[in-house]
Amino acid sequence: MNFLKKHCVAMLLAGGQGSRLLVLTENTAKPAVPFGGKYRIIDFPLSNCVNSGIDTVGILTQYQPLELNEYIGNGQPWRLNRSHGGVQVLPPYAKSKKSEWYKGTANAIYQNIPFIERYDPDYVLILSGDHIYKMDYAAMLRFAEQKNADCTIAVRTVPLAEASRFGIMNTNEDGSIYEFEEKPKHPKSTNASMGIYIFKWDILRQFLIADEEDPSSDNDFGKNVIPALLSSGHKLFAYKFEGYWKDVGTISSLWEANMELLGTDPAFNLDSEKGGRIYARNYAMPSSFIAKSSANSDSLIGEGSGIYGAVKHCVISTGCTVEEGAVVEDSVIMPNVVIESGAIIRHAIIGEDCHIRRGAVIGGSFAEGEEKKIAVVGKAKTIEANQTIAPGEVC
Amino acid sequence: MSTMGIIFANIYDSSLGELTNKRTMASLPYGGRYRQIDFSLSNMTNAGIRHIGVITKYNYQSLMNHIGSGQEWDLELEEGGLEFLTPYAADHNASYRGKLDALRSAMSFLTYSKEEYVVLVDSGVLCAIDFNELIEHHIASGADVTVCVKAGIANGVKQLDMAVRTDKKNAVTDVAVDYCADESYLASMGIFVMRRDRLIREVTEAVAHNRFRFERDFVMPGFTDGSLKLNAYKFQGVALFNESTAEFFHNNLALLDRNIREGLFRRPGRTIYTKVRNEIPSYYGDSSEIDDCMVADGCVLEGTAIHSILFRGVKLGKNAVVKDSIIMSDAVIGEGAELENVILDKDVVVGAGKKLCGTYEHPLILKRGEIV
Repeated sequence: MNFLKKHCVAMLLAGGQGSRLLVLTENTAKPAVPFGGKYRIIDFPLSNCVNSGIDTVGILTQYQPLELNEYIGNGQPWRLNRSHGGVQVLPPYAKSKKSEWYKGTANAIYQNIPFIERYDPDYVLILSGDHIYKMDYAAMLRFAEQKNADCTIAVRTVPLAEASRFGIMNTNEDGSIYEFEEKPKHPKSTNASMGIYIFKWDILRQFLIADEEDPSSDNDFGKNVIPALLSSGHKLFAYKFEGYWKDVGTISSLWEANMELLGTDPAFNLDSEKGGRIYARNYAMPSSFIAKSSANSDSLIGEGSGIYGAVKHCVISTGCTVEEGAVVEDSVIMPNVVIESGAIIRHAIIGEDCHIRRGAVIGGSFAEGEEKKIAVVGKAKTIEANQTIAPGEVC
Repeated sequence: MSTMGIIFANIYDSSLGELTNKRTMASLPYGGRYRQIDFSLSNMTNAGIRHIGVITKYNYQSLMNHIGSGQEWDLELEEGGLEFLTPYAADHNASYRGKLDALRSAMSFLTYSKEEYVVLVDSGVLCAIDFNELIEHHIASGADVTVCVKAGIANGVKQLDMAVRTDKKNAVTDVAVDYCADESYLASMGIFVMRRDRLIREVTEAVAHNRFRFERDFVMPGFTDGSLKLNAYKFQGVALFNESTAEFFHNNLALLDRNIREGLFRRPGRTIYTKVRNEIPSYYGDSSEIDDCMVADGCVLEGTAIHSILFRGVKLGKNAVVKDSIIMSDAVIGEGAELENVILDKDVVVGAGKKLCGTYEHPLILKRGEIV
């Protein structure tokens, strides 16, 4: 087999359980969780790669990868079905000497050194499959080259009051990082790491091998590899990212990110004119039928749906049915959900393939300023007629 | 029972005026997100027919662009997949005089294929049909040619390319061509099945004897003189004949009827595939009012649409009102504009406050890219 050299190879970490998404990731890897009416979370980093000219992407899977693997297939929806490079799903595999699951983010890359080596890259881009954003990685790569950085870490500015929740990079005037503090009690700056790294491959390789040989290491980029690079005098730079970015690792952040797609001038504009097109695997469905009895406002509605009821400030995914007399507000309805007449759904996330029977009441309303507790119904569940799911309840 | 397919992309272009001025019948947009050829292509691949020749004579740029490698229908094979059969530059006949003539040009495609049967399909009738059932019916009948027919279309007013009458035993008793047949006739859906070797023989013979039209010069005379055993397969599902502007208009709006919708789409095992465009889901603004419409992806809706078909990427401005209309992709309807019984082709821009009105039988058509 012949492999062409690639300037930069992307490695997308998609193996985590995403346990804070509870029932939504019971049987599904987090990157395969539906988002925005017709996407899955992984569409964002994948589309960013192809829009940035990166055509070689290894996707590291581990937890419940079936749906994710099927979804990715040969990478064709993201134009990543290439003869040289393209997308490659990388699960852990048995070796002759030592077989193990991925035990940490760095270990996952370490175990795939042979994959990366095939392309003899100058740089490796490390991404995670948990974030919603549009980013031009090529611009970050140019920055890395210009600074001759051994490692470049994308950072975003967070409010000082929240900085203690993040990995904070303290930088000099020129953007070089002199200190890295994980969730500091007294943050010295507001540059929060986005978990997006560009490494010079030969440097990364060296540190991955060293890290693997350290039995006390957690084999994690943030905890182990980055600090090791920093303390050994290597050149690390912070690349400032200005756009919208959301870690959708919790129920409330997933719900918020969906809501932030709504409005005539949304906080996150999916429009291809603004930062590139997000590609997804599309299923052959006819256009949606919007009935006279429906009343839709401030909502996104995917194709293949039949809307006969009232939908307000929602993201309704593809293939859904909202029957006449049903009321859906401030909610995220994932693909292929049926909501029967008389059901009332407010401030909820309804998982794929659910069936909500007549008169069921899910979630509730909140006063201005009150904390919104999002009710969640997991994938393929049936909520019986007139059953009640309380605000914030997860089932 | 191996079968190949032939799709005629544009035999009746002239009857749809501006809509088929620069595109084939097959690439005519339909139903919010499809093109007419999606139905024949999908029906074929759903029946496992993957070796398909698309015969087209002119205006086929958008068709080739739409189909590409045939990937969406699982047809991108190195061999035995989809092929475009365009007029040979070398042939002195740049324009086909009829389907037999067109098939003559595609002779090497036919002779180098290995399949036993051929399904020949026109591009003007939309349906979700099980071709396996049709082929089995054909073989069981022992006929030379089976024509797929539909009741309830012939009405004494509509001119049919071909119409047949059958007796109680379903045997064909009469064949008429280019005829305004009455209700006792069944309309041909432009779908035929026959053996490939027989088709090759017939095409060669016919063209050599100055006969070019499939129905008029082959099927009908063969039936009349007894040299052709003709079988009729009565299709029971939804079949929409889009052979005139008015029919095209009515058949799009017909999708607003649940039975028609369900008769065409989402039939188990008979999904209609089409080219994907990766639009974002449609946004329904606070001031939008959408009543009984089909809406595709990528629309931004702030105004009112009633009983209409909105294709991908349509922008409907505030206080605009669209009624009984077909708005094709990326059209922009300005604030306060009023449209009724209108077909807007792709990329049309209707300025703010403009009023456009056709009638149900004579919809007003704006051609692609027109700015009002």
